[in-house]
Amino acid sequence: MSIPSELAEVESKPAGSARVRDLLPQQSRRKLVAIAGGPNCGKSTLFNKLTGLRQKVANYPGVTVEKKGGLCALRSGRVVELLDLPGTYSLRPGSPDEVVVRDVLLGVQADTPLPDLTLLVLDATCLDRQLYLCMQLMEIGRPVVVALNMMDTARDEGLDIDAGLLSRALGAPVVPISARTGSGIAQLRDAMDREIPPPRPVTRLLPEPLRDGAERVARVLPLAGPLAALSRFHVAMALLLDEGEDDSLIRAVPIPARREVMSVRAELDAGIPEWRSHEPIGHYHAIEELIRKATLRVKPEVSLRERIDRVLTHRVLGPLIFVLLMAVVFQSVFMWATPIMNAIDSGVSALGRFIAPALPVGPIRSLVVDGVIAGVGAVVTFVPQIAILFLFISLMEDSGYLARGAFIMDRLMRGVGLSGRAFIPLLSSFACAIPGIMATRTIDNRRDRLTTILIAPFMSCSARLPVYALLIGAFIPNRSVGFLSLPGLVLFSLYVLGILAAVLVAWALKRTALRGSRPLYVMELPPYRVPSWRSVLITVRDRAGLFVQKAGTVILAVSIVLWFLASYPRNSGQVRPLEKRLEAVEDGAAQAKARGSVAEASAKRTEATQLENEIAGVSLRDSFAGRAGRLIEPAIAPLGFDWKIGIALLSSFAAREVMVSTMATVYNLGDADQTSVSLREKLRHAENPSGGKAYSPLMAVSLMVFFVLACQCMSTVAVVRRETNSWRWPIFMVVMMNALAWIASFAVYQGGKLMGLG
Amino acid sequence: MTPPRGRADRSTRKLGELKPGSRAIVRRVSGEPGLLRRLMELGFVPGTPITLVRRAPMGDPIELRLRGTHFSIRTSEADRIDVDPF
Repeated sequence: MSIPSELAEVESKPAGSARVRDLLPQQSRRKLVAIAGGPNCGKSTLFNKLTGLRQKVANYPGVTVEKKGGLCALRSGRVVELLDLPGTYSLRPGSPDEVVVRDVLLGVQADTPLPDLTLLVLDATCLDRQLYLCMQLMEIGRPVVVALNMMDTARDEGLDIDAGLLSRALGAPVVPISARTGSGIAQLRDAMDREIPPPRPVTRLLPEPLRDGAERVARVLPLAGPLAALSRFHVAMALLLDEGEDDSLIRAVPIPARREVMSVRAELDAGIPEWRSHEPIGHYHAIEELIRKATLRVKPEVSLRERIDRVLTHRVLGPLIFVLLMAVVFQSVFMWATPIMNAIDSGVSALGRFIAPALPVGPIRSLVVDGVIAGVGAVVTFVPQIAILFLFISLMEDSGYLARGAFIMDRLMRGVGLSGRAFIPLLSSFACAIPGIMATRTIDNRRDRLTTILIAPFMSCSARLPVYALLIGAFIPNRSVGFLSLPGLVLFSLYVLGILAAVLVAWALKRTALRGSRPLYVMELPPYRVPSWRSVLITVRDRAGLFVQKAGTVILAVSIVLWFLASYPRNSGQVRPLEKRLEAVEDGAAQAKARGSVAEASAKRTEATQLENEIAGVSLRDSFAGRAGRLIEPAIAPLGFDWKIGIALLSSFAAREVMVSTMATVYNLGDADQTSVSLREKLRHAENPSGGKAYSPLMAVSLMVFFVLACQCMSTVAVVRRETNSWRWPIFMVVMMNALAWIASFAVYQGGKLMGLG
Repeated sequence: MTPPRGRADRSTRKLGELKPGSRAIVRRVSGEPGLLRRLMELGFVPGTPITLVRRAPMGDPIELRLRGTHFSIRTSEADRIDVDPF
């Protein structure tokens, strides 16, 4: 979060003394306004309207919840700091997102001060349920301003709401707005500028034992420290009700208070077993009264959403439309991203070629061109796919369609132990797991999200295709099996293998590492809305930006490390003479060009390229990577691989498709690709030291199986690190996937040999 | 005295058993405390009118309308909710 520099020192102290900030005179720190509301109340649109582009996304420390902050200028010239909290239905937490919301609003969230004002956003078109959070918020004892959003839609639907009555009943200002059209925003800004008194406490109807119990807890709460600025009764109720493991709220009170909480809970459990239900029952009772008085429906309900839903969730049309839409998204990501990615690739190569002659032949040229420029290129290459996928996801989410998609797919995903929301991230992973894993943001259940992230790489991504193409082209005979071709069948089975592995791993995870109580899979199906382009584009910008910033740094670093391993140590014995020859040939080419003899220049260029390939081949084979390849040969020999493949496996950690170019380099065919006939020939006829054939169709299948299952993508690791905010899960993923790959390859190769297929 | 015909039809049923389009009143919510509270907070409080709008194309989950909001809920979870049909 960006903070004024004069306060940077205060902020860097540990959480306890961060309270000092609260004591600073009002003028020297910005007013902090927390924006709370349900998941579909248009909060983000409002946030975007209020902050413009002055917003920043980070993470709350230690969790995967995102912290969205921004600055908002008020009409008086004052600037306030806005914090867009995750959408929540209740202050009683049920997920990491909701824990953060509660903690921020109660002032116990590390790194975030107690907000000066809470801006609660309600969707005017479904006030009934939205008021639940409102009721809870009013009891905290801190100032609240209520923004009644979507007033334009409410009016269209014939809903008349008496904002004044609502305001008097709640004890807080209520400002009708429409974040989409901008109406009421000025009044909202003015409301944020005022000093609002906290709502007066409303006595709720509660059973005696519960009220007494809460009061007992309230009495032993400390009079100073965090929580002191809040209603003691509310804090007591919160402590009693929030029973998550190792809950951050209970840790914020001293031990004697904790003991009192425990003993009150035990007494209540013994006395009124259903005491926890009284809060919702009591609140909804009050809400029903309020709705009856404050709202009036002047027109019968127009069910536009009903008519649309009748088509989009129709028994036959629904899935059909969904599949069609998925095909369009998939195809678009491929079609639109590919030319841009190719352009980026060419651009990177051109840049490399442009810079190369300016640098002396040798380590510096190599580092800059093959390490840094290639590394940056590797990062930037992903941006088009991420941008396009998130464009679609944003549109679907904001319009309300995403929920319908999850609704349709839920039954299918249930078989894997996931929910409908996992479908799109997994589908996208067939193109590339990077945007797919980022798309798991739409899954709110933490365990489901993790499981989806961990199995996403099993969906055979497009980077594996060149490897498949090379190996199938070189080793699988083009026979027909019925009306299918053998190569096609092999390719298809590889995809199926990936899916099966994903199902298996998901099942295993749910029973072991990610085991837990079954969550409630209740999901809201929001009304259809026209998405705001500004919000969509801001989301795309945020996602791409975060990727480049957080994952990009890891990718670049690993690129350079891999470059180093593949280029050093330089065997000057063999390489130097070749480099000298290369210099001579390049000079010759330049001279020929200056003289105007195009044919000679071109011939020299070809010779130069061949020399470059040879240098690359020798360098690679004698480098650390080469040595590592030889080192791991005993470990991969049972899978049918030799050290040259070993080198390729190690360097393809940079990106799966690098496997092809590495194999080409190892065989001195530096610029060949998967379609190169010469490369295929080289592989087919490659010999091992004892003179026999080094590779065979069986080995090719074993290698492809390995490729389906192994984690060979540093970018995936970097993104998983970013999305899970820890190194634990990426490391687990690498170990798990590679172990699985090794076992499967082993089974295929040895099993095949036993059956006489080798 | 035998109860009128109509009354016998108003037996309590599980929410998941209703036909699409039917309306009912929430009578009781059961289950383990965490999930129970969660459901109630979403508005599944005894006395609340509820409509089963439709089933998903594959039969599960179901779409409900409650307090002006539409929810998707799995049948296994919907069965925790006892309702009195209209």
